[in-house]
Formats: sequence, C-alpha cells, structure tokens
Amino acid sequence: MKSGVRELALIALHVAVISILARFALPVPFSPVPLTGQMVGVFLAGSLLGSKKGAFAVFTYILLGISGAPVLAMGRAGPGVLFEPSGWYLLGFLPGVFILGLIMERSSPNSGRFLPAWGGMLACLAITYLCGVSYFMQVLEYEPAQAAAVGILPFLPGDLAKIALTVPLAAKLIKVLGARPGRI
Amino acid sequence: MSRSITLGQYMPGKTLMHRLDARAKLLSLILLILGLFTASSYWGLIFLLILALVHLSFTGVPLGYILRGVRHIFVLILLTLLLHFFFTTGGEVLIREQLFVAEITVESEGVQLGTTVALRLIILIFFTMLVTLTTTPLALTGAMESLLTPLKYLRLPVSEMSMVAMISLRFIPTLMEESDRIVKAQMARGARIGEGNFLQKARSLIPVIVPLFVSAFRRAEELAVAMEARCYRVGARRTSIRETRFAFKDYMVIIFSVALAAIMWFTPL
Repeated sequence: MKSGVRELALIALHVAVISILARFALPVPFSPVPLTGQMVGVFLAGSLLGSKKGAFAVFTYILLGISGAPVLAMGRAGPGVLFEPSGWYLLGFLPGVFILGLIMERSSPNSGRFLPAWGGMLACLAITYLCGVSYFMQVLEYEPAQAAAVGILPFLPGDLAKIALTVPLAAKLIKVLGARPGRI
Repeated sequence: MSRSITLGQYMPGKTLMHRLDARAKLLSLILLILGLFTASSYWGLIFLLILALVHLSFTGVPLGYILRGVRHIFVLILLTLLLHFFFTTGGEVLIREQLFVAEITVESEGVQLGTTVALRLIILIFFTMLVTLTTTPLALTGAMESLLTPLKYLRLPVSEMSMVAMISLRFIPTLMEESDRIVKAQMARGARIGEGNFLQKARSLIPVIVPLFVSAFRRAEELAVAMEARCYRVGARRTSIRETRFAFKDYMVIIFSVALAAIMWFTPL
C-alpha cells in the first residue's frame, strides 16, 4: 500500500474515533462480551477510508489495545485480550472492515446512497460474529447452537440498531466531506 | 471520560523476568501457548500451571494483584464449566437427577472437557500476565513492531504503524475537547441534544458528529502539512533511540520454550 502523510494522519484520526467510541460500552448479562460503540467507529472507518486504509486503521487499533493502551472497551488492555472472547470479535473487525470498504469502493453511484452501506455493514457484522463465535467453539469447545446463543443473539438487536444509525451518518459525512465512498 | 491515562498492568521491578528482552518474552509466550493447546493430558496442563505460578511468584508481584487479573474471566470459566458438565454427553454417567420436569445427567466426558478447557484458559491468562506485568507498554509496542517486520515483504506498512498509533493517542484528547465545544455551540443555537426517546437522542448526535469530523479532518490535513514540512517521509528508514539486543538469557528462554512446546506436541503429555 502506497500512502502519503495525509493518509497516515487520516488513518490515525479514525483509530482515535474507534478508541473514543469504545468507551461507550454496556456489559451484557450472561455474556462475557460487552455491547460497544466501537463497532460504529469500525463502520465509519470502512465506509470513509475504504478497504486497505480501513483495515490499516483497525489493525493499528488492535495493536494499540494489545500493547496495553487503554483504547479497548471496558478498560481491557494487554495481549491477554486476544485470549478472551471479545478479542476474537476484535480480530473479526479486520476482515470485516476490509470487505465493507471493498463494497463501498466498488459500489456504483446509481445504487443509491444507503444500499451499499447497508450491505457492507451487514457483511462486516456477519464476519465479526463468525470470528467471535469461533472462539466459543474452538477455545471453549461449545456446540454451535450454544456458541450462537452466547455470542450472537444478545448482540443482534443492538448491532442492527447501530447499523441503522451509522448508514445515514456515513452517507452524510461522505457528502459533507466531498468525497467518494471509501476514497477519502 | 478520564483525562489521565494509566497504561497497561506493568509493575516495576528488577527481577530476571523484568530484565529479559521484550521480544524474547513475546516469542516464548507464543511458543508456550502453542504448547498449551497441544497439551492433551491433565499432567501436561498441571505442569504448565505450576510453571506459570512459579514464574509469577518470581516476579515479586503481590498475589492479590494477580487474582484481580483473573477476576473478570471468572464468570466465563464458570459458564463454560456448567455448559460442559450438563450438556456434553459421552462416557459414563456420573450423576442422574430428576429436577422438576427435566432429567439432568453429568457424564464423564463432559467433566473432562469442562475442566480441561477451564484449566487451559486459566493458564493462558497466567502466561500473558507474566509478560504484561513485567514489560512496559512502550517495550511491548517496540517488540511487536520488530516481530511484525517480516510483514514488510508483503508490502504492508509496518514501520508506519507505530507512527499512526502515536498520532492517534494524541488525537483522543483533542477530539474529546472538540466534541465538548461543538455540543455547547449547537446547544447555544437551540439544538436539543440527549433529549427525547432513543430515536430522537440518536438523531440529535448528527449535528455533533458531522462538524466534529469536518474539523478533525482539517486538523489531520494540518498535521500532515506540518509533518511534511519537517521532512517526515513515508517508507523512510527510521532509527530508534533505544536499540535493544538479545543477551544470553534471552536465547536460553527461547530455547527452553521451543523445547517445552516440542515436548507437548510430540509426547502424549
């Protein structure tokens, strides 16, 4: 990836946005993973920065978290995070944001302002869930149904609401900043 | 939002674990985790647990501090134990109880799987704590960057990563202050922020977030100009103010970890 200094600064900005939004976290009863606002930051990074730069931002965010900076939800930090369920959701953001960015970049202008964003964010969410659930199945050896009950169902309504909020927000930001989707 | 930031769980000290090179510690952590996941018997797991506890006691960190680190995964361990005890079937039936309408059985394979998984999780947390308790976040970041250097050959911008990380940490307080200011400015113009039902509350965030992004983007552009004016170039080789070098003890730690992982892999332990 060839990126200039301006791109580096914009990527850093999005890392900061994800970190701030992660502070808004709600613990979910009966589940070891909190409901967080960081997903909104990840969606924005994907839809504004696009696939490669969005993934770069998320990767830097994860690295910051595992090297001990207090940027993750619920004040968690350090490499130990990667061995907790929430860490695998974090890792899932990485391919998720890449796909979201790819969809935003490839979308044609006549497919509407909202449709690509909805598709991309749903895809991103699905990939994130897949990674999170695989923790319960691989590390804790849950059955698929048990893993889905702990790892997807408690979050689905909240995450869909976040998408419904982020789609118009991203469209508005793209318009105001005068850019093409995924190409800022 | 707290403005003071505490970094990591680092406990200052001068023990052998503290003096090891951060790269050596990270590498052996990876190797030990590999060993942990290939260990299949109770004996292997108990050996690793003892190993972790002995090393933790050598770091001189108080026991209460270590237990506090395990506290937040306690619920997860309990949930996992219960799930496996009651729902994983196979082997001999150990307990059969009639509870109201349902019949509950605890079978031997469930007990074995549950305890193995729980033990593995606890050991995992202990091993990572061993690293985080004895390594400063700064050294940890440096070690991660240097271990990721091979990714450079995949044309990934590894050396820029730490620069981006540092800039973003600097952006966090700036963005917080900026959002405070915008909220006040919009309220002075009569915006109702944080009022009404959930939907209205959410919609009221748009007149805050959009100007926040516009001004943040301007800031990022100004920063880029300032960096370019000071001759920052993307992809240029940068040197570090602290060059660390592997010592004899670092090689020994890695050799020991390789041996341990190999034993766990190739023997039925």
